[in-house]
Amino acid sequence: MAQYLPLLAMLILATVFAGGSFLASGLLAPKRPTLAKAAPYECGIVPDREPAERFPVRFYLVAMIFIIFDIEIIFLYPWAVIFRQLKGFGIFEMVLFTVAVFVSLVYLLANGALDWGPAKRLMATPTVDPAGARDPRRTSSSTVRRIGPTGKEAA
Amino acid sequence: MPLELPRVEWATILPETILVVGAMLILLGGALLRRRLPAWVWTVASIIIAAGAMVSAWDLWRRVSHNHQGGAHTAIANAVVVDGFSVYFALLTCGAVILAALMADSYLRRERLNAPEFHVLMLLSASGALLMAAANDLIVIFLGLEVLSIALYVLAGFAQRRAVSREAAMKYFVLGAFSSAIFLYGVALAYGATGSTNLGEIAAFLRASVSTHAVLLGAFAFLIVGLGFKIAAVPFHMWTPDVYQGSPTPVTGFMAAVAKAAGFAALLRIFFSTFGTHRLDWQPLIWALAVLSILVGSVLAVVQTDVKRMLAYSSISHAGYILIGLQAATVRGLAGSLFYLLAYTFMVLGSFGIVTLVARDGDARTGLDAYRGLGQRRPGLALVFTVLLLAQAGVPLTSGFLAKFYVISAAVEAHSYALAIIAMLAAVIAAFFYLRVIVVMYMAGDEADTADADPIRVPFGAGLSLAVSVVATVIIGTILAGPAFDFARHASILRL
Amino acid sequence: MNAFDHWALSGAVFIPILGAVLLAFVPKRLEVEIKAVALLTTVVTAGVGVYLLAHFDYDKTHQLQYAVDRSWIDVISSRYHIGLDGISLPMLALSMFISVLCIVYSWDHFPEPHNPKAFLILLLVLETGMNGTFVAQDLILFFVFFELVLLPMYFMIGVWGGPNRQYASIKFFLVTLFGSALMILSFLALYFKVTLPDGSHTFDIVKLASVHGAGIAHGAQLLIFGGLFIGFAIKVPMFPFHTWLPDAHTEAPTVGSVILAAILLKLGTYGFIRIAIPILPEAAKSWAPWIGVLAVIGIIYGALGCLAQRDMKRLIAFSSIAHMGFVMLGISTLTTYGINAAIFGMVAHGLITGMLFFLAGSIQERFHTRELDRLGGLLLQAPRMGWILGFCAMASLGLPGLAGFWGEFPAILSTYSPAVGLNLALFRTFMVIASIGTVLAAGYLLWMLQRVAFGTVKAEFEHEHIHDMHGPEYLAWTPILVLIVLLGVVPGIVFRVTDKPVQKVTVAHVEQRRSVVTGQTAVGQP
Repeated sequence: MAQYLPLLAMLILATVFAGGSFLASGLLAPKRPTLAKAAPYECGIVPDREPAERFPVRFYLVAMIFIIFDIEIIFLYPWAVIFRQLKGFGIFEMVLFTVAVFVSLVYLLANGALDWGPAKRLMATPTVDPAGARDPRRTSSSTVRRIGPTGKEAA
Repeated sequence: MPLELPRVEWATILPETILVVGAMLILLGGALLRRRLPAWVWTVASIIIAAGAMVSAWDLWRRVSHNHQGGAHTAIANAVVVDGFSVYFALLTCGAVILAALMADSYLRRERLNAPEFHVLMLLSASGALLMAAANDLIVIFLGLEVLSIALYVLAGFAQRRAVSREAAMKYFVLGAFSSAIFLYGVALAYGATGSTNLGEIAAFLRASVSTHAVLLGAFAFLIVGLGFKIAAVPFHMWTPDVYQGSPTPVTGFMAAVAKAAGFAALLRIFFSTFGTHRLDWQPLIWALAVLSILVGSVLAVVQTDVKRMLAYSSISHAGYILIGLQAATVRGLAGSLFYLLAYTFMVLGSFGIVTLVARDGDARTGLDAYRGLGQRRPGLALVFTVLLLAQAGVPLTSGFLAKFYVISAAVEAHSYALAIIAMLAAVIAAFFYLRVIVVMYMAGDEADTADADPIRVPFGAGLSLAVSVVATVIIGTILAGPAFDFARHASILRL
Repeated sequence: MNAFDHWALSGAVFIPILGAVLLAFVPKRLEVEIKAVALLTTVVTAGVGVYLLAHFDYDKTHQLQYAVDRSWIDVISSRYHIGLDGISLPMLALSMFISVLCIVYSWDHFPEPHNPKAFLILLLVLETGMNGTFVAQDLILFFVFFELVLLPMYFMIGVWGGPNRQYASIKFFLVTLFGSALMILSFLALYFKVTLPDGSHTFDIVKLASVHGAGIAHGAQLLIFGGLFIGFAIKVPMFPFHTWLPDAHTEAPTVGSVILAAILLKLGTYGFIRIAIPILPEAAKSWAPWIGVLAVIGIIYGALGCLAQRDMKRLIAFSSIAHMGFVMLGISTLTTYGINAAIFGMVAHGLITGMLFFLAGSIQERFHTRELDRLGGLLLQAPRMGWILGFCAMASLGLPGLAGFWGEFPAILSTYSPAVGLNLALFRTFMVIASIGTVLAAGYLLWMLQRVAFGTVKAEFEHEHIHDMHGPEYLAWTPILVLIVLLGVVPGIVFRVTDKPVQKVTVAHVEQRRSVVTGQTAVGQP
């Protein structure tokens, strides 16, 4: 177990440092909050409303797609450094990996994951449709009243 | 510094490759042609792919079983092992994929879910299961585990419009990720204790060392906990009822069959074969897990009023029975566990298949009341369910009886009498709740309110899947008992 | 042995289930055809049975005849080993015989919810299970058939039973399954613990019995026997494992009750004679006094239970407990005499109590009640049925000249000199108590007869037309009545068959007796 001692020491040091920092700043720092200091920093402009808390879910989707390609890049860098040593094997493995990522990109594109702009259905599937909610008698002609220019119902 | 490049013997991982490539093709096809092709195409594609993987696995099986010792070997820098054991699980998993795909076909249409993605996820998940069974390295097992699990997390939430399904996915994901981390921690400790993650090298190291290091004990504990989550053994079963109940029913069947089988594949390979020399250290742990799983699973199943949830608890108790084989840590025990998994796969897929059909629109009717009078309304369906439930209860002339018999005989052989007695008595408790469903189907009055408004339909694919399950359950229990046993026994040639 | 001999016994076991499969393909609405197929199946099976009886070598009743021994599940060394000897023969014959009569009896009055197709399929599956249990010579095969019996009976009680059928059927199933669970563990322990002379392990009953449990420590033997004991005792059922029986009988449809009483209870006692005692003779000796105690408690308890019943079927069920107590008492002596008596008692009880349940069913059908308080004057309204009830009551209480006598009397007598090594005083005490039991038996049976058959018709049924016996009842009952008389007059036809194989069962104890005798002379010589 002796060889793990440095690890333990590291762990303790890290804890002590982190805890110590918090403690020290809590004890030593002067605290004189003013309204201006408490306000969020927005390049000097006074915020006139609370910052938005909810993003459109699409942001997350893009973020995740970004991460996938980010990881691909991370893989490619070390590979590029030694790809001569890896020879054909390296090329082959990287092609496999890239194809896999490419297929998923095609899938994403085909499903409109990168279609921006006004609401377009992500998937061509019907939305919530509890049994019986869609009454066949409910059509645009039966539910919308058409009124003529006079404001009276057309005969 | 020259790099040592592994030689990749593609033939040895052909089943996995077929599944992954097939899944990608379906993904592409689904993305580009979804609107032009009818939904059944994806089911057929999925079945063809799984069948292809099965054929290639069968080919491996022939090669492995032809010359007993020389056939089994490791490949790809010793990371993968080809032996009866890995091929057995490959065949089992692919069979489960086919049955689940047949069952899911009509389900996906009924629930208006995306067919291609479903099949893609299922195939990917299966490839992870295959990898787990074929892995000869703790890291590779972990990779397989993640591929298996991540696809299953998504599948659990596949019916996104139902809150319970989302809840199931979330629970499964959080707890599954947690258990994966614990497993990984166990891998790290095992590496620390033995100096390798390769199972062969670990085994060699352990053969040479007599004493048990505390770090190694820690590794045992963490690996058992991590895999215990996957196989849903008590006390790591908390997620099971909620996830099984909330998931789309065909997914539940698939999950119960494949995830459990894969977890056991890893557990058996790691503990029985690799840590076999130190069995005295881990056997008590497995003993406790087995007893707790059997008892808690059986007793809590008794108080359930929802059939799907009850089956979830019963699958927990099945895990306990399979653990008995591992606890014995003998060849008979291993063969018993393998045979149990074979029988269990058909029983559980068939049972959840019935639940799928009876639940009808929205997967809603899974309560015991939905089965009231099923014997009068759909005698065929009721008969199939009866056979499957009786098999799960371990009644003779079904595969379930022989499975229980085999693991318990292994326990008796290993002098674990207390375990054998507890297991048999729990089987009686378990029989009670299976019987209760049968009673409701045959002996209680008709389901008056909705009997005619929304009849239970049995589409072709689902019917086929059920027929295969029930026929396999009966045949393995009677005529084909001998060959099935041989199959399981040959699968237990573990090369290490 | 010609080809037919080779297949005959398997035929006797599997023809019913083939008939059941055939029935499954007959459309539900063709009721007459369904009944015909079922009847034909049982008749063919019985025909095979007649062939077996005719070609049986009665000089070698102790040997397995028509034996078939093929590999079945090699991996667990379980073999398809069946064979017929003098102990199996009467039981197999009884099972086939009763099955035919049950179908005849139920010809045109199936219990609610009707559905003769399902009912007859279950009946045929049941017959396969019963026949198979009586001929199986391999523990696993025995267990499979033993359990196979459970399911059809469970459904019979649960679907066609009385108002409280769900409770009764589940109780029946679970209690029996509990016993089976311990039984199979004992089977496994026998497999692993008993080593044959050639060093192998086996489930084969014949081979296991030939080594008399050699090599197992006495303590382990006792435990293994304990598992077998609970498994079989629940089926018999012995006090205190009997609680499922009254419920099951009360709720079961008539035919179910008849089969339950006539055959199913015998599976337990048969198991003792076939498996528990020959394989573990030493343990049997240690357990025998306890079995004897429970048997006499059963006799007295059953009889007292009968006197407290208000329901006719329940009364007969309790009388079964008492009668099976006599059978177990005979077995507990571990003597050839006692076990012979026990086998005769099994056959006799099967016929007589089966018949009583038929009668109870027919009475219920006519009066729509089985309550003793509401019944009365059967002799006035349906004299033939009344007389048959009287006859059966007499047979049941052990009147000499009828079958019941030869089961009860020798069983009591055998306790006078139990096997060597058993406590003589204790067994003679059993004898006294059991004799009191016969008096009580006469008491409750006559009491029942008096309340059902004698007296005047109760007001509520006074103006109802009660049909006396009809066709199927004549057909189904006559053979049983004839047999009851026949066995009562010529009991030798059974004893002749059972004697030799029973000697084989008790041989371990006889050998011990010999060694004790020679030991004594050795002491006396110098």
